[in-house]
Amino acid sequence: MILAVLFANAEGNILIERFHGVPSEERLHWRSFLVKLGADNLKGTKNEELLVACHKSVYIVYTVLGDVSIYVVGKDEYDELALSEVIFVITSAVKDVCGKPPTERVFLDKYGRICLCLDEIVWKGYLENTEKDRIKRLIRLKPPTEY
Amino acid sequence: MADSSGTTLMDLITADPTPAPASTLAPAASSAPTSASYPATTPPAVLPTALGKPVGEKKSKRAALMQIQNDTISAAKSALHPVRASIMPQKQKKKPVSYAQLARSIHELAATCDNKKSVRQLVNHVFPKLAVYNSVDPSLAPSLLMLNQQCEDRSVLRYVYYYLARILSDTGAQGLSTGGGIPTPNWDALADIDAVGGVTRADVVPRIVEQLTVEAKNSEFEFHARRLQSLKALTSAPSTNSEILSRLYEVVFGILEKVGDNPQKRKKGIFGAKGGDRDSVIRSNLQYGALSALRRLPLDPGNPAFLHYAVNGISFADPVAVRQALEIVSELATRDPYAVAMALGKHVEPGGALQDVLHLNDVLARVSLARLCCAISRARALDERPDIRSQFNSLLYQLLLDPSERVCFEAILCVIGKYDNTERTEERASGWYRLTREILKLPDASSKESSKDKSQKSKRPQPLIKLVMRRLESSFRSFSRPVLHAAARVVQEMGKSRAAAFSVGLQDVDEGAHVNTFADSADLNDSDESAHPESIRRTSSVSNAAAGRDTTAGLLASLMEVVRTTVACECVYVRAMVIKALIWMQSPIDSFDELGSIIASELSDPSWPAALLNDVLLTLHARFKASPDMAVTLLEIARIFATKVPGKVDADVLQLLWKTCLVGAGPDGKPKALEAVTIVLDLPPPQPGSTLGITSVDRVFASDPKSALALQKLVQAAVWFLGENANYAASEYAWESATPPGTALMMLDADKMVAAASSRNPTLAGALTRLQRCAFSGGWEIRIIAAQALTTMAIRSGEPFRLQIYEFLHTLAHGGLQTQFSDMHISNGEDQGASGTGLGVLLSPMIKVLDEMYRAQDDLIKEIRIHDNAKKEWTDDELKKLYETHERLLDLVSLFCYVPRAKYLPLGPTSAKLIDIYRSRHNISASTGLSDPAVATGISDLLYESKPAPAEPDTLDDDLVNAWAANLGDAPAMNRVNEFLAGDGMDAPEVDEENMISRPSISYDDMWAKTLLESSELEEDDARSMGSSSPDSTGSVETSISSHFGGMSYPSLFSSRPSTTDKAQTSRGSGPSIYEGLGSPIREEPPPYSSPVRQRYGSFENPLSGNGSQSFGSQDDERVSSGNPQFGTALYDFTAGGDDELSLTAGEEVEIEYEVDGWFYVKKKRPGRDGKMAGLVPVLYVNQS
Repeated sequence: MILAVLFANAEGNILIERFHGVPSEERLHWRSFLVKLGADNLKGTKNEELLVACHKSVYIVYTVLGDVSIYVVGKDEYDELALSEVIFVITSAVKDVCGKPPTERVFLDKYGRICLCLDEIVWKGYLENTEKDRIKRLIRLKPPTEY
Repeated sequence: MADSSGTTLMDLITADPTPAPASTLAPAASSAPTSASYPATTPPAVLPTALGKPVGEKKSKRAALMQIQNDTISAAKSALHPVRASIMPQKQKKKPVSYAQLARSIHELAATCDNKKSVRQLVNHVFPKLAVYNSVDPSLAPSLLMLNQQCEDRSVLRYVYYYLARILSDTGAQGLSTGGGIPTPNWDALADIDAVGGVTRADVVPRIVEQLTVEAKNSEFEFHARRLQSLKALTSAPSTNSEILSRLYEVVFGILEKVGDNPQKRKKGIFGAKGGDRDSVIRSNLQYGALSALRRLPLDPGNPAFLHYAVNGISFADPVAVRQALEIVSELATRDPYAVAMALGKHVEPGGALQDVLHLNDVLARVSLARLCCAISRARALDERPDIRSQFNSLLYQLLLDPSERVCFEAILCVIGKYDNTERTEERASGWYRLTREILKLPDASSKESSKDKSQKSKRPQPLIKLVMRRLESSFRSFSRPVLHAAARVVQEMGKSRAAAFSVGLQDVDEGAHVNTFADSADLNDSDESAHPESIRRTSSVSNAAAGRDTTAGLLASLMEVVRTTVACECVYVRAMVIKALIWMQSPIDSFDELGSIIASELSDPSWPAALLNDVLLTLHARFKASPDMAVTLLEIARIFATKVPGKVDADVLQLLWKTCLVGAGPDGKPKALEAVTIVLDLPPPQPGSTLGITSVDRVFASDPKSALALQKLVQAAVWFLGENANYAASEYAWESATPPGTALMMLDADKMVAAASSRNPTLAGALTRLQRCAFSGGWEIRIIAAQALTTMAIRSGEPFRLQIYEFLHTLAHGGLQTQFSDMHISNGEDQGASGTGLGVLLSPMIKVLDEMYRAQDDLIKEIRIHDNAKKEWTDDELKKLYETHERLLDLVSLFCYVPRAKYLPLGPTSAKLIDIYRSRHNISASTGLSDPAVATGISDLLYESKPAPAEPDTLDDDLVNAWAANLGDAPAMNRVNEFLAGDGMDAPEVDEENMISRPSISYDDMWAKTLLESSELEEDDARSMGSSSPDSTGSVETSISSHFGGMSYPSLFSSRPSTTDKAQTSRGSGPSIYEGLGSPIREEPPPYSSPVRQRYGSFENPLSGNGSQSFGSQDDERVSSGNPQFGTALYDFTAGGDDELSLTAGEEVEIEYEVDGWFYVKKKRPGRDGKMAGLVPVLYVNQS
């Protein structure tokens, strides 16, 4: 289960968050935990360099992309390596939409499409589409495979 | 957090160069200022739209209405969400587009969606901005549905599906949904307030579902992309809604019925290939959509259609569909492996669909394949079909060669027996066996498969363990932190399996493997070296070092070396995982030095977060549970934690670990274990020149109040622990004292006393010295606890310790040595109080008890002398007096700490004989439960729960574990350990290092306490007759409680049923009236009963000889038949609510047997209508005559 996907800016403000199966009273804790994690560790990290953390049996993989930091939280089959796959799909989709590692400005400009991409990538707590082209087609309401 | 993000996200809305969309439209303009005039109070003002009414109609009329509505809504909202006010952007230049404006634009634009300009507006401005809000107003649904029907533009439609899905998924709780972003109000609540046009989710959801269902069923070719999206949107409805769920099943199965049964040949290599014929592409798209939707639906294990379609899905053309199908099938396989294996049938054979998955470019699909293979190849249900199992097993082994680490690691975990969070020792052990055994067995087994399947790189057969080790070693060279973390985790799991193998006694196999495989592995080794000339240098070096032996041990050693180097990773989480792996791979026989130094140097790093350290600490718990003989090693590690990072570790968890290990350490390890604890009291190592560790600690940590506080708590915990457990650790108990009576009294000289004490029992003497020092120095909390700990020890220890402590306490209380010690607590900066240590108030009752004990002992000796000199027997009255004193002292002592009443002799060993005489003469059980004030006042549960019982010193027998386990339930730390051991872990992390929320958890109890308690109850007799040094030390809570009942010598006392033992004190109180004397310590008085009672004595089994719980049952029966009859009349009709209850008719006469918890057990004269004679009725229904 992918428990959470979270985008935050450099100041630790949350831009997008998607929780799956996390009780609402725990979400606040997760938000602050993740943001603190990023604040502690993301300084000087290269784009798309993956960092890892865990809390109990929950895994967290996070990275930075331009001005935006991306956190993915998962458990069970979504361990640190599976989450690396997920975050790779997400970062490439974001790069695709924004054209490059986004500044906060660009990210917000493309906010809607990023939301749609995320919708295609993570569906109800499971990784769905991984291919860039496929995602691109799907957010334009085209069939996943064209004929 | 969301609040602070509001400004940034608002930028998105405000910073748009184009004018606010709503302002372009005339009718809306009139109300725009309205909402803009409320920016300081609420962000989004809602525009309610009546359902079904065409939007845009009668705008002008409604504008006025809206004004009013907005007023009310914003007022309501500011009342509902007063905090929200702050999130409104402070920007003045650009007017933000409020939610209301966005909503309005959608309504407007929906009406004109055939217009290109509106479409652009929607796609570029309105919809993206709406995404910023964390939930969508249900009142938008009609417009969205209209767009859905009328709009042609794909981008608009995609957004429409997105928002419809969000409306469906929104649970409506405080407006906090999965969306994130700017908080929105709870729309449903708002709609309720707004009586005019409020639209709630309940109103729109059926319509949305209806429309989406229709679309999902639309089988036009052109429509199929939308079909997929509507299916997807439908699945986002919460799965609790059974109506939507059944519709979804219907739709999904409908699609699969049409497209699911035509398995096509997948074109290898080109996934999602273009250029297929249209029909097949569309079919594959639909297959994908249906299976993905199916994956989101709850599993339906009993449904053959479900399984059938999922299995068919494995051969679909769409790779994502294959993944979903595999995930479903592998989940089904854990529930019903037989059915799944049968359904998979040919797929697993060479050339089958499952073999194709091996080459599928989808990591998660292969992970699911590994799980599936694992579930089927380990299934007991398939014991008769070894062929199927071996097919899946060989598939699983092939996955070990997978290029992706994720898949390979999953396969390793499956091999070593870790599939889910349930920990089964046997599974783990056999997993380890499997992993290592393959050295022996693989050659012929795998040559078969390799010739067929591993065509691409078929080499000489390789032992499993070598493959795994080599893979792990290369993973540890990766630069990717997730890979390192995962690899360390895999090693940790291997360690768990290994520990399990050791604990079930498989180490013979392990050792045997070294020798047996020597010949084969030499051969293997050669081939291996040639096949992998680049073979890791360490492997070869190790195998050289081990005289060319390529043994499990050698491979492990080389792996562990790589693991150890990984400790250099800059990420603490990776390091933590590595340390956990090292702890798990540490075996009891290995030297601990290396691990110790690694941990010690790691802990010096200040960047370790406390939560992580405690996690490692919990790992020690788990490790201890897996192999209790490592207790000493683990305590050493725990000691490193306590000395290095006292401020970060959780004192409760640490204390629990001490206790667990102390009990597990066995007779030899106990002093060592205690030593590990006492070290904490010397924290940090005393500065040169300073003799007092504690004072220097105060100084050191003055700069950091938080960690100083934590240290204080840790020291307190250690002191308390010492007091409670020193006697156990030192195997020194007053009731087992070997010192002949009187000797102690001769040695009143303090120096001699100390010398005698330390020579007799250095462990206890050492603990005593530490505690004495703590009682003088340290914070006041520590001093208090130290004094209490000393009292506990005084009461529990025999001479000369008791005397030594007594003297010390006396000094402490009266400040006699104040001047001597005064220089020690200068640095405390506290008012020492009149008594020198400020402990006078606390100490005086303790000293009083000890005083009384000594005085009574003196009196007893005097009495004995008199009797001896006069050569006369003790009269009954004298004995009675003696016994009363004995009981009174026991009561007093029990107030301070737990002692086994049956054995404890406050009057000294000499009194034992006399008291026995009295007891047997009066038929009093050794442990008269009633006279325990704790029981009498009903606090026994508290008392016995919180105080550890001194356990039997020598062996780790049931009673001991029992006592120990029963005591473990007291701390919240317990829960934490439980959670950890259960592999739980979804709880939100605590950023601020506050106390974790403790949750009730039973697993630990289940594993230890409960089972042990039960078995020990049964085996109690055996344990006693085994003749351990203190045969019936009633260390256990259970035993002592039950023996209280055994000791109640009056038959009518047993007025409670066995099931209510712990509540018996209540029933006792309400029993027949002779118990007014309850509070008095005199219980053995011959009861004022006439003959019937005396007769009953005769029928009793002697409580002294029987064990409490056993005799209880029989006594109970006894009692039922021979109660002291009391009669009553039923006041009202009563209908029995259960089997043990009895129906009554008002006025009926009954005989009251006894009372339990507000119920009378009564007998009727004649059977009632239901034929029952006796049963329970509420007390209030019966009038006692």
